[in-house]
Amino acid sequence: MKRAPLLWLPAAAIAAAALAPVVVLILMSLGAEAIFDGRSAEILLNTIVLTLITVGGAIVVGVPLAIVTTYTALPLRRLWIALLAAPLAIPSYLGAFAFFAAFGPGGEIEILTGIATPRAEGLLGACAVMTLYTYPFVFIATRAALQTLDANVVDAARTLGLPLPAALLRIVLPRAANGIAAGALLVALYTLSDFATPEIMHLDTFTRMIYVEYNAFGLDRAALMSLQLLALVIAVLVVEARIRVRRERPGRILHLSLGWPLRLLAITLAAVVIAAALALPIGIFTLWLLREGGAGFELRYALNSAYAAALVAAAAVVVALPLAYAASTGWFGKLCERASYLGFGIPGIVMGTALVYLGLRVPLLYQTLALMVAGLTLRFLPLAVGSVRSSTERVESTLIGAARSLGATPAEAFRRVSLPLILPGIIAAAALVFLEAMRELPATLLLRPNEFDTLATYLWRVYEAGYLGRGALPALALIGVSAIALVLMLSGEARRRRTLGV
Amino acid sequence: MLDRRSLLKSALALGLVGPGALWAADTPTAEAESADDLPPLAGTLTVYLGRGEGGLYDDIVAAIRKRNPDLDLRIRRGPSAALANTLIAESRAGVKRADLFWSIDASSLGVVAAQGKSRPIPASIQRHIKPAFRYDQWAAISGRLRTVAYNPDRIQAAQLPTRIMDFAKTDLKIGWAPAYGAFQSFVTAMRLLEGEDRTRAWLQGVKRQAKSYAGELGVVMAVARGEVDVGFANHYYTLRLKKGQPDANVALALTENDAGSLVNSSGVLLLDDNPLAGNFVRYLLSREVQSFLASQAYEIPMAAGIDLPDGLPDKIHPPKIDLTQLSDLKPTLELLRETRVL
Repeated sequence: MKRAPLLWLPAAAIAAAALAPVVVLILMSLGAEAIFDGRSAEILLNTIVLTLITVGGAIVVGVPLAIVTTYTALPLRRLWIALLAAPLAIPSYLGAFAFFAAFGPGGEIEILTGIATPRAEGLLGACAVMTLYTYPFVFIATRAALQTLDANVVDAARTLGLPLPAALLRIVLPRAANGIAAGALLVALYTLSDFATPEIMHLDTFTRMIYVEYNAFGLDRAALMSLQLLALVIAVLVVEARIRVRRERPGRILHLSLGWPLRLLAITLAAVVIAAALALPIGIFTLWLLREGGAGFELRYALNSAYAAALVAAAAVVVALPLAYAASTGWFGKLCERASYLGFGIPGIVMGTALVYLGLRVPLLYQTLALMVAGLTLRFLPLAVGSVRSSTERVESTLIGAARSLGATPAEAFRRVSLPLILPGIIAAAALVFLEAMRELPATLLLRPNEFDTLATYLWRVYEAGYLGRGALPALALIGVSAIALVLMLSGEARRRRTLGV
Repeated sequence: MLDRRSLLKSALALGLVGPGALWAADTPTAEAESADDLPPLAGTLTVYLGRGEGGLYDDIVAAIRKRNPDLDLRIRRGPSAALANTLIAESRAGVKRADLFWSIDASSLGVVAAQGKSRPIPASIQRHIKPAFRYDQWAAISGRLRTVAYNPDRIQAAQLPTRIMDFAKTDLKIGWAPAYGAFQSFVTAMRLLEGEDRTRAWLQGVKRQAKSYAGELGVVMAVARGEVDVGFANHYYTLRLKKGQPDANVALALTENDAGSLVNSSGVLLLDDNPLAGNFVRYLLSREVQSFLASQAYEIPMAAGIDLPDGLPDKIHPPKIDLTQLSDLKPTLELLRETRVL
């Protein structure tokens, strides 16, 4: 414990770095005329409406699927669960990209089948895409809540004469409500910070307009809008911090036997969602690959992506360790850990804008890989901290004490007791950050060094130039990366469950 | 900002009717150099490339790289306005990274040139450029023409207005790409020719029947598949699409003596005295690159003695406007913002 204050130094430095982008934005926006005009109101309204509808859609899709996959004996249930969680791993810009190309007059669907479809654009298009790629937050959080619910409670209600639907509504849902809310807030956070979907769907949200201003000599305006967006994000984070998932006494998992019409309905919903969120983009990109081949694509882009992502993962773990330890050493350490969470709330486009400005003030960093890595590290630091913390918490001082009393040196105690306990957390943190960094688009777009194209920025380049077909290879590569992410996430979850004996 | 002589020169050159006179290079112009005769490029060169036109400019870059294995070329790609913006922010902060700014439209070049940080184009380069397109501050690389792409299945050429301003009064479905630099140049030209109020009214009028696209290839493709009746786009998008799909439902129309048939130019700005930068520009003006631009990219070559691309309209009536004036982009962006087009 007496070493704690020493640990506070790096923690404080990291927290200060995490706050730096906000300070930069405030400095940048000082020159802008702060008028809140009709245009600003419209952008605010678009952003909020998109977020609310997406949250609503995610709940409507995610909750029933969570109930069905948790409580009923579906054929191939584990496969359904994996597939239904999968869209989370795919960056929504790939979905937006595919929807943009598939629908509408002259879209791929009409070319292939002759069936006319409406264009995927505007508020509706953006809501549809965002819902498809964010509902897994609700799905997973709700499932976690449902799994801890003791079936005996429901059975008791049933024996007291409550019919099944009423039991679900009055007993199960209120208990899962916090889980649903936690998932819904993640959906809100993700939707607020997503840049590519509104851009592709032509919906003027904060993220899209920040990019427009950035590209149109309006850095100060971009900063001002970034701050407005940040205020929205902080509001969501404040609500999120107040939600406590109630721990139930674990018991038997409920089993529902649904009639075949309901089961068929559930399977249909799941199949439609999977077809739209997974099969459609993969199908479109494969079609393009067959039609146009890999023209223009260079292996360099994939290597650049992997290289930068590896650096970000390493940096995030190194930075996360002192933070995670500091968090367990008192209020100041906890405060520093909280501050680092801000990065997750700062949308990539905002982080990029702030760091470009910072780079111009510190030319040594400008357009360097170091600055880009720093930006992505700050952005994904909370993922690493969370993952590392969950493992450092398992290292109890009594364990080390026991090892020491049995004659181990401090170094040996660390090597043989602490390290094996925290290593899985560190590896999980690194893997998670690596995959997120690899798929990140907006901050990478603004911060990348010259002659440094990644899979994501190359994809964006062909989109802007209108050569959609050339995006096939990078898009499929990104989906492949996302699939690996998913397997890691799911197997990590399975391993945790096994080790915890749940 | 604009000297009288160059205005007169451009007005004379651009006011002439017909492409022959416009594109011709009968005044003292040196023949295009062959890349074989150019000095090899060696060393590090940083280029900001504004909207690389898909893969076509990449092919040029790849060819130059292949020919000059000792050249360490570092390219930053982005929308032309974004890169101009970056260059201005850099210049204000006293940071310099790029040796060269290669952009697809004159306005972004002009905006950066107005910062006073660029170097005049040496006469040794100027003499290879067609006289009507010689500017002190940047080297013109290729010409492009604003056009109206239309779908012949949905509308006849004769039904199209001959004045760009009249499009706001029709009920045609129109495609445009307001974020694209060449479109913004076109609006700047309209603002200078017709005035701010008429341009605002035009933007508002067209916006009611317009669909926005990310780029002008998207606009032309939308015209071809009948999603819109007409679209505003640079000429080569239509020609390139027709090359890939000869029976695509899209044709070119021109307006007369207004911004609708503005002749714009892509070009290069030298940002320092690095001799490598000047020699790189000579490669861009070489016979090989210029022929490639004309035959594959359907752009109008700026070096003398290169064949014009196929399918270029016969009679062109460009407006009397000097391209250096197009750097006055800020009021255009204000207007696009105010009318919520951008």
